[in-house]
Amino acid sequence: MKTIEFESQRVSLWYFRLALVLFILQVIMGLWLSINYAFTLPQELVNVFPFSTAREIHTNTLVAWMLLGFMGGTYYILPPECDRELYSTKIAYLQLIIFVAAAVTAVIGFLFGWTRGKPLLEIPFPLNALIVVAALLFIANVAMTIIKAKVKTALQWMLLGGVTFLALMYLFGMPFYRNLNTDYYYWWWVIHLWVEGAWEIVTASIMAYIIMRVTGVERKVVEKWLYVETGLFLFTGIVGTGHHYYWIGAPDYWLWWGGIFSALEPLPIVLMVVDTWMHVRERKNPIVNPLTWYYIVGLAIYHLVGAGLWGFMHTLPPINRYTHGSQITVSHGHLAFFGAYALLNLTIFYFAMPRLKGITKYHDTAGRWGFWITTIAMFMLGLVFGIAGILQTYLERFLDIGYSTAQQTMMFWFRVAFGVGLVFLGGVLTTIWHLFTLKPSDKLAPEEVVVPPAANI
Amino acid sequence: MTGKAARLIFWLGTLVSAAIFLWMTYDFHLQTPKYTHTDKLTEEVVAGKKVWHKYNCNDCHTILGFGGYYAPDMTKAIYRLGDNNIASIVQHPEVMYKNSFRKMPQLGITEPETRQLIAFLRWTSEIENRKWPPQDEKFVEAYKLRESQPQKLDKVHLVLQACGGCHTFEHQGRNVGGDLTAIANRITYDRQTLINYIINPQSVRPGVTMPPQDVSLQTAGVIADFVLSLRSTKEVKQ
Repeated sequence: MKTIEFESQRVSLWYFRLALVLFILQVIMGLWLSINYAFTLPQELVNVFPFSTAREIHTNTLVAWMLLGFMGGTYYILPPECDRELYSTKIAYLQLIIFVAAAVTAVIGFLFGWTRGKPLLEIPFPLNALIVVAALLFIANVAMTIIKAKVKTALQWMLLGGVTFLALMYLFGMPFYRNLNTDYYYWWWVIHLWVEGAWEIVTASIMAYIIMRVTGVERKVVEKWLYVETGLFLFTGIVGTGHHYYWIGAPDYWLWWGGIFSALEPLPIVLMVVDTWMHVRERKNPIVNPLTWYYIVGLAIYHLVGAGLWGFMHTLPPINRYTHGSQITVSHGHLAFFGAYALLNLTIFYFAMPRLKGITKYHDTAGRWGFWITTIAMFMLGLVFGIAGILQTYLERFLDIGYSTAQQTMMFWFRVAFGVGLVFLGGVLTTIWHLFTLKPSDKLAPEEVVVPPAANI
Repeated sequence: MTGKAARLIFWLGTLVSAAIFLWMTYDFHLQTPKYTHTDKLTEEVVAGKKVWHKYNCNDCHTILGFGGYYAPDMTKAIYRLGDNNIASIVQHPEVMYKNSFRKMPQLGITEPETRQLIAFLRWTSEIENRKWPPQDEKFVEAYKLRESQPQKLDKVHLVLQACGGCHTFEHQGRNVGGDLTAIANRITYDRQTLINYIINPQSVRPGVTMPPQDVSLQTAGVIADFVLSLRSTKEVKQ
């Protein structure tokens, strides 16, 4: 197995490292949030560090480390895919510095109440402007690399389309809307069209590349699947945005369009599982690092369970009427973000980081522990939130017992969630420690058939 | 399947969905004045929305079901709590939630900001969103009934709605101002004094922490009758 083919791929390493640091911060904040639910905190503490501040740090670090992973992943796969160096490594580093500076300032600002108070999009305007500058630099760099490349592939354009779509949607969250209903209408243009649109395209493209590289399956086959999957993602996902508009004060037909299209949303994910499975079975290459393959298959399955099944369960209006805005959403949110995007980033890291360090076959005992602990603990966490959510909706919305009673019965389940969360943190730390200290394995790696990336079309 | 068919699926799927979505967005903008009563969307309401953002309310409370799940949904909060209760809560959460298992931070919201916030929540409560959240619908109905015909109300219901924000009655309501039965047995006021007390507590007992209640004379009368009826009569020994 070759390590890296192009020197400029090295820029991605700092993206990965910073993403992993933010991941730890996100999980620690999550644990603090569960303590807020599980116990009664003193008023003095709540006054200086309220739940709202911890939550905005939890969600913003999530978005930040996801985006860092996507950008780093893009920079890692672009040079071999284009068969040339990146257009500019200076731009890549400059963009990283701007992005991280804005993110760090945002987190510190939150502690002092500097916020826009709009969930998940709390970053104040000056910092938003910086993020836009970073995004423009990123897209320009990606586009120039692709334009200057001698070989053109579908994967390149899909990736460029995905990141441009992602950046474009962010703009809809920036203005101040006078009308709350319109505010939330466009809020979902960012959040929904990201996670069920742009991010899926980026995921599908990056995974197509990684699968092609590790399995050695023909590009023609992989790209065909890529077209069908992204086509279905966008077909179901765009109108599927409507499943967030049932209760905001919108015309009745949203119930139908939103319900039907979003019920179809698991379809492309099923396809993704099928094609991953087929490519793994029909691989031309031997399995060098089993852990990387765990992540590839784990991502496909978890993506289907967390985003697909859990989402499908409460996407239809008659069910959503009772589950909307409850801990059931929390359960779905955690399983979906972890299953689809945290695992995607970890797959990228496990694919790229050994290569960046020039390691062909790595020693993976700690990494395997990390994989099983994080995936199982997160699934348990999803179940615990799910139980809390079912209790909440049943007590509050079926039996019509008051809010406080429903929340008090949840305290027990959040103590359980805190315990499971600690285990999850342990798994995350193990994984990250493993990634930061990758060591070559003593055993020899089997010979691998290297598919020349872009040249074999 | 050929590569060409795959590309066709991609473009067809994407463009069809985008076209439907954009058309629905256009229609959404046409219809939103009707669903959200934009004619009532005054500067005061917009100022209130800015207050809502400024103190990051939305990361603990949901509104229209979106945001943090740590505190109750605020879409129909006006019906559930009423103006005065909301004002007391946002200005003195440390008092209102003294005995609560969950606390709200003291945010330092000023009085004008509180008024703007209430205007915003009132406007929000009138968004026609298919009677969501379901658990608040009983408060919406009770509120509307109370506004239209106070004399016909079930007294217990009325008192719980109006007074339950601070007083308990048979273990229901928030215990900040004491239990109504205990109060009824403690006070020596006659009906008219109690009515005066409800409308302006300071006029009867200067220095008391209970805020003035924004109710009509008639409603205050109904409440006073109810509270006085809770006095236990002395048992007759045989």
